[in-house]
Amino acid sequence: MQSIDYLCILFCFQTEHKMSIEEVCRKFNTDIVQGLTNAKAAEYLIRDGPNALTPPPTTPEWVKFCRQLFGGFSILLWTGAILCFLAYAIQAATEDEPAGDNLYLGIVLTAVVVITGCFSYFQEAKSSKIMESFKNMVPQQALVIREGEKVTINAEEVVGGDLIEVKGGDRIPADIRVVSAHGCKVDNSSLTGESEPQSRSPDCTHDNPLETRNVAFFSTNCVEGTARGIVICTGDRTVMGRIATLTSGLETGKTPIAKEIEHFIHIITGVAVFLGVTFFILAIILGYSWLEAVIFLIGIIVANVPEGLLATVTVCLTLTAKRMAKKNCLVKNLEAVETLGSTSTICSDKTGTLTQNRMTVAHMWFDNQIHEADTTEDQSGASFDKSSVTWLSLARVAGLCNRAQFKAGQDSLPILKRDVAGDASESALLKCIELSCGSVRAMRDRNKKVAEIPFNSTNKYQLSVHETEDPNDNRYLLVMKGAPERILDRCTTILVQGKEQPMDEELKEAFQNAYMELGGLGERVLGFCHVLLPEDQYPKGFAFDTEDVNFQTDNLCFVGLMSMIDPPRAAVPDAVIMVTGDHPITAKAIAKGVGIISEGNETVEDIAARLNIPVSQVNPRDAKACVVHGTDLKDLSQDQMDDILRNHTEIVFARTSPQQKLIIVEGCQRLGAIVAVTGDGVNDSPALKKADIGVAMGISGSDVSKQAADMILLDDNFASIVTGVEEGRLIFDNLKKSIAYTLTSNIPEITPFLFFIIVNIPLPLGTITILCIDLGTDMVPAISLAYETAESDIMKRQPRNPARDKLVNERLISIAYGQIGMIQALGGFFAYFVILAENGFLPSRLVGIRLNWDDRSTNDLEDSYGQQWTYEQRKIVEFTCHTAFFVSIVVVQWADVIICKTRRNSVFQQGMRPSWWFCAFPYSFLIFVYDEIRKLLLRRNPGG
Amino acid sequence: MSGTKAEERKGSSSEWRDAFWNPRTHELLGRTASSWGLILLFYLVFYLFLAGMFVLTMYIMLLTLDDYKPTWQDRLATPGMMIHPKGDQLEITFSVSETESWDRFTQTLNTFLSPYNDSYQVQMNDNCPPDQFFIQEDSGEVRNNPKRSCQFNRSMLEECSGISDRFYGYSRGQPCVLIKLNRVIGMLPGKNGQSPYVTCGAKRYRVEKERDEWREDGDKLGPLAYYPPNGTFNLMYYPYYGKKAQVNYTQPLVAVKFLNASVNTDINVECKINSNTLEAGSERDKFAGRVSFKLRINHT
Repeated sequence: MQSIDYLCILFCFQTEHKMSIEEVCRKFNTDIVQGLTNAKAAEYLIRDGPNALTPPPTTPEWVKFCRQLFGGFSILLWTGAILCFLAYAIQAATEDEPAGDNLYLGIVLTAVVVITGCFSYFQEAKSSKIMESFKNMVPQQALVIREGEKVTINAEEVVGGDLIEVKGGDRIPADIRVVSAHGCKVDNSSLTGESEPQSRSPDCTHDNPLETRNVAFFSTNCVEGTARGIVICTGDRTVMGRIATLTSGLETGKTPIAKEIEHFIHIITGVAVFLGVTFFILAIILGYSWLEAVIFLIGIIVANVPEGLLATVTVCLTLTAKRMAKKNCLVKNLEAVETLGSTSTICSDKTGTLTQNRMTVAHMWFDNQIHEADTTEDQSGASFDKSSVTWLSLARVAGLCNRAQFKAGQDSLPILKRDVAGDASESALLKCIELSCGSVRAMRDRNKKVAEIPFNSTNKYQLSVHETEDPNDNRYLLVMKGAPERILDRCTTILVQGKEQPMDEELKEAFQNAYMELGGLGERVLGFCHVLLPEDQYPKGFAFDTEDVNFQTDNLCFVGLMSMIDPPRAAVPDAVIMVTGDHPITAKAIAKGVGIISEGNETVEDIAARLNIPVSQVNPRDAKACVVHGTDLKDLSQDQMDDILRNHTEIVFARTSPQQKLIIVEGCQRLGAIVAVTGDGVNDSPALKKADIGVAMGISGSDVSKQAADMILLDDNFASIVTGVEEGRLIFDNLKKSIAYTLTSNIPEITPFLFFIIVNIPLPLGTITILCIDLGTDMVPAISLAYETAESDIMKRQPRNPARDKLVNERLISIAYGQIGMIQALGGFFAYFVILAENGFLPSRLVGIRLNWDDRSTNDLEDSYGQQWTYEQRKIVEFTCHTAFFVSIVVVQWADVIICKTRRNSVFQQGMRPSWWFCAFPYSFLIFVYDEIRKLLLRRNPGG
Repeated sequence: MSGTKAEERKGSSSEWRDAFWNPRTHELLGRTASSWGLILLFYLVFYLFLAGMFVLTMYIMLLTLDDYKPTWQDRLATPGMMIHPKGDQLEITFSVSETESWDRFTQTLNTFLSPYNDSYQVQMNDNCPPDQFFIQEDSGEVRNNPKRSCQFNRSMLEECSGISDRFYGYSRGQPCVLIKLNRVIGMLPGKNGQSPYVTCGAKRYRVEKERDEWREDGDKLGPLAYYPPNGTFNLMYYPYYGKKAQVNYTQPLVAVKFLNASVNTDINVECKINSNTLEAGSERDKFAGRVSFKLRINHT
């Protein structure tokens, strides 16, 4: 409460809630029915600016830059560079002609750190820009009424005085003064911390604007019901905006892959420091001077740190972000892609995700008969008598008890192609009625609506009360639609051939059969009923209270059923658990349609039906598929739940409530699965949050679900999730490949130093050369691995277990360091020994030669053949060795980059046929021949 | 809250212990003994294979080498030169009056020159005709081994041979420095019977670092004496056939005696080879075809 008092100080000057609606209208020059005029709205928009919060101050750019410059491996390299300068300073102070090597190395190291720092900084800036653009791709929408038309606009364009309509699942686009509400409840938890949804109504109930019921606040969520209100504050002037300006941006936690990379940096740094210090001490013990020991230390650090790797990783992430955006997957945090890749179970609700979300009315049942709906534009396929009274009643109920309406300005379009404001099934009904009976709008105008209870998950029905068409008839018409069994429960009579008949057992059975048949087709069935309220009880002007229902909602007259189908989408992968609110039969039909229950797999019930035995006698282990009813789920213990999840590969949960969704997700997680949950409704958001990765629908999804989700499918296509999974696995694979490739060359880089110190051979590979490899020849191929396409088996593999399958695990280290790296080192050493031997120093002569070899005053060093060498002469040979070692590493890294292209597949399976590799061979030969001829001519004609 | 955290910590510490040694599954660092055994076996076999492969390639490479002559000699086109005694970092500093300061020079010279004793040379080597190459060709595949070598008698160094003056002049402030030309197989350091010879002079050097002021100690050097006469490396000692074919090769020497060098001052001396076939060494290599050293004779 204290916080609320404190807030009150900030906002008590707000008085709109105490004004009457008319006063508010006057204040904003708006109309309670027509809303603002477009011109006024534009004027206000210019005056007040867009309805958006000023973004919180971000980390200054120079801090980000410094983080790149001094974070990760950079510290290690800075240490190396400083040691270099120190060594040079000592040499300069003590020697007459100090060798410039250390100075150069120091400069190069500094340059390396600065350049990679800059590169990473720009890459990060680029990827964060992409993420920014992502955020802008999901603009919040608001339904405003301007000049009497409902238009959906960006929430940013909402201005003070706009008449706004919100419904369950919406985010409130601005601070609004409620003018009318139907069972509207808002979740103010983001503002006040009260988790209980609070109802909203037009009455002022409290002096404090935060306490009163008639104000709904910006960025809170409407949980259920509908409300209409006038915008009183926008943008930073809203309550939330003023709080937001008080609190600065919150630090976000580290994502899994960032942790993985940090873990990897720690390992490598640890190894580098450990080896460096060990050999430093060893060098001192072996009698090297301090200076030499320091130089060894630098060499080992430089050899161990994969300087180019971090830049490569950033490139990989940026690339994936781009690729995902192209495929209509909007990833709210980039690293979530990787999580998606390790997903083992996808819990999906049916609506719009597994289906195409183009709901159309397919069948109707009235007059005790199933009729096929005619969905052609010209009504050519009429299959039933349109003059039937029952049909006209059904159409009236479907048209009136319906909140959907066509968006403005599409009169020229065919009905089926028009955009509709409203949910999928209501839109389907609207289009169907509009097609067969003409303008629904006109019908609604004739039957003025006086009261309405919108659909919610507890009632499972929607009703509205209307005046009748006949001006002389003062009775009110109550129309209701909803889940068929719930509707049936409320009915005592049924309309058959235009006559009301009492509902008897026979008709009930006919209803049940029709319901089962339609449901079995995988269709969503809705029941419709109506009643004319008796005039004596409900005279004209009766005040219908929808909050506290003061009128009859039973003893109704059943009219008919209408069923809608949403054609299933192709491409639904395995490991999908369907969780839906639909009837088990419908759910099963859809599951079969999209392949969640694959052909030939039976449920316990199917087996029982086939063998004609009771369900209890069937061994549940025989059934791979299973359909679980929400009510059964309630009674299941945790163990039984685990048993179901473990023993069935194809599971459908039907008639589930939001809480049960959460239980299912938790159950899967308990079994160690990484669960992705898709959802679009408000009620999905707990499950979306609980899931390892929540996926919201971009088109049909509510703002709340989009907020709770980690990823948004812009095209609502389930196949996009699969793409996401593939991308997630791909980025992990490719990073692994890049790292494996880069780490491998560490072994041939570090072994020369070790042998140099321990066996006292001339140094086979110089420090600068190591930098050339790490930053030059290794970096581009490592980046190229980021472009690697997915392996053919990428989706067939078991998902990644994040506890065991680390980015850098012992297996990667083992193969990179222990196996391939060793082979590479041998390759380098072979080249080294060949060069020295062919110049006269056989391997046997080399061991222990180092002290004399590096002594400038020894100019008669004897080789294996008895020849004598000056210092410079043998250094030239040594540098030749460095070059050769370098070239060998480059050459063996060619092989490495090719083997790193795949993790499991053979290289030859990965799109590249071996014969294609050799196509360019004649041309490379041509290069040699051509250049030799060129050189020959040059020699023949000197100066020509 | 804190209770659960403590439990978590406890849990994670026991996890750590399990990760190191899990007594239930008998896993060390997450692997059973047999798994570790297999890994070790794999690495043993793998590394043995690699070692075998490496040894094989090295062996094949060594087979391609000639026993008598290295494959490449291009780095040795200009032979290096060296002095003896080497001193400390090519600085020969001593006091005439302090015996200990030059004693080690005479000691090393004695040791160095012992194989040059006339008696030994006469016994081991040939007396070759001078001023011409002592060529001993192989006839085709048949090796003409071991090859003979020519005598270089210690007495040829006369004043610097240590026979007449066993302190090589160090006791009188007239030190001897031996100069040798690096051995290079097959090198022919002259033609037309003209033997290469050594000349020594003052070396130009920079006075101070970073400053472009050069100086040479020509006036301090004083007269020099060369032994053998004219400081020649006689052609008969060439060509060299390598350690294996020409076991008893005696490397020719030239001795330089500083007859009247200035005392109590650093003298930068540079000796170089003069030949009508050898190329002048690169500017970078201070010891190709020349040798420089610092001489300082203290005398109180």
